[in-house]
Amino acid sequence: MIARTTTHDGIPSSTLHGAMNRPAETTNQGAALEIRFGPVDMAQVRIRSTDPGIIVDELTGRVATAPKFFQRTAVCLDLSELGHEPDVAELRGVVEAVRRAGMLPVGLVNGTAATDTLARELDMPVLAQFRATGKTPPVVHAAPVTEPEADLSPLIHTQAVRSGQRLYARRRDLIVMAPVGAGAELMADGCAHVYGALRGRVMAGARGDTRARVFCQAFHAELVSIAGVFRVFETIPADLAGKPVHAWLDGDALRFARLGE
Amino acid sequence: MTEIIVVTSGKGGVGKTTTSASIACGLASRGKKVAVIDFDIGLRNLDLIMGCERRVVYDFVNVINGECTLKQALIKDKRLDTLFVLAASQTRDKDALSTEGVERVLNELRADGFDYVLCDSPAGIEKGAHLAMYFADRAIVVVNPEVSSVRDSDRILGLLASKTKLAEGGNGRVQEHLLLTRYSPRRVAAGEMMGVDDVKEILGLDVVGVVPESTDVLSASNAGTPVILHEDSDVARAYQDAVARLLGETVPLRFIDEPKRGFFARLFGG
Repeated sequence: MIARTTTHDGIPSSTLHGAMNRPAETTNQGAALEIRFGPVDMAQVRIRSTDPGIIVDELTGRVATAPKFFQRTAVCLDLSELGHEPDVAELRGVVEAVRRAGMLPVGLVNGTAATDTLARELDMPVLAQFRATGKTPPVVHAAPVTEPEADLSPLIHTQAVRSGQRLYARRRDLIVMAPVGAGAELMADGCAHVYGALRGRVMAGARGDTRARVFCQAFHAELVSIAGVFRVFETIPADLAGKPVHAWLDGDALRFARLGE
Repeated sequence: MTEIIVVTSGKGGVGKTTTSASIACGLASRGKKVAVIDFDIGLRNLDLIMGCERRVVYDFVNVINGECTLKQALIKDKRLDTLFVLAASQTRDKDALSTEGVERVLNELRADGFDYVLCDSPAGIEKGAHLAMYFADRAIVVVNPEVSSVRDSDRILGLLASKTKLAEGGNGRVQEHLLLTRYSPRRVAAGEMMGVDDVKEILGLDVVGVVPESTDVLSASNAGTPVILHEDSDVARAYQDAVARLLGETVPLRFIDEPKRGFFARLFGG
């Protein structure tokens, strides 16, 4: 297998591939199987220690942050930062540790000439030049399972929202048909409507939807936020105070206007 | 059918105990059998306002802990024979209260045929206040026409709508009443103080009474007589009106307008 780096929009690619669209000229076009070349993204685990205990601890934690992404994922072991030439027994311990943590080591990279021997002993391939892409696995967020853009019907709330209460409309709009007290918080992934006096805080587009808007019948809000862009109202401009107002995001700026104008 | 009424506010010092004492007396003087319980464990003052502080032998916590019977702890009022006071403990604190214990005491009062049980809540939103409101059928939220009191009352209204047995059961709600205390029509007219309408607009509730600011309240607590029994006082009249409204009567609001001064009084600034 020939591994080579190529550029993909100017970014060096971590893929191991031949030319993707090249017809299968080096193949064995027999009926039983076919050999093809194609790009494969792979994570590399760059170890700085061969202590199996440490490796299991750290990797298990990492797998736990995004199990769908990391569990049983193929990884290659990067030995370039080890600081010493490991022997086979050490490396076997490392491979064992990585497996125990839930990942599947399938090759070695960035080693020295000695790496070849180790690879042979471990019965693993050497995947030579390997440069990380700009892509990093989503450590903080959940696994990249696309969440359905389900448009559920709005969350409708008919009681007064009192100071200290919080409402969150997950993945939908929020409609409140009663006054919202000072010190109350409204959050919606979609739009937020208040058919009453709005005295508290309102955060629309809570997950980043910049098209979300805020509507209210009598504007006295303490804070308005759309997709994270917020404005605090120490004083409310006279043309907006107590009037029906809507707010929207215009690029990076939060805009307010009387409703119906 | 016993009705449990909690007198609460959130904010401290707005007139909960004054109100509890007066409303209890008002109901009792109409022949109802009333118990008023002090939930402010460790900082008891209902007994002082009722004038029975030197007759407290057993208290609320003693009853909860089974150290005495309810009958032994209830103090019969000297002026109204259908009125009973259950004082709080002064030596313990609110951790001595338990939901089961409070429920047991309230059930015993129900079984004893009380018409009304008033629960005088402590200030705040913690255990004492929570337990005082938890079993309530009705709530009197005492508010001063002042921003922090209004904000705290809003919070309390939210808790009444969510953290009470009726609310958690899902098929009922605590009936909420606002009682505005320390009201000064002169200051409202001068634009210094929030008016009844302002409070109604912010809290979204009608008031069950407006009690004017008065020096009579201090005199009453000093005397150990609930202010509703001071017949010459506007405060007493306001509390009588509130009791009437609680019992379903329609009474127009008094004491919300500046008293008209005579010509000479205005001329000489009397």
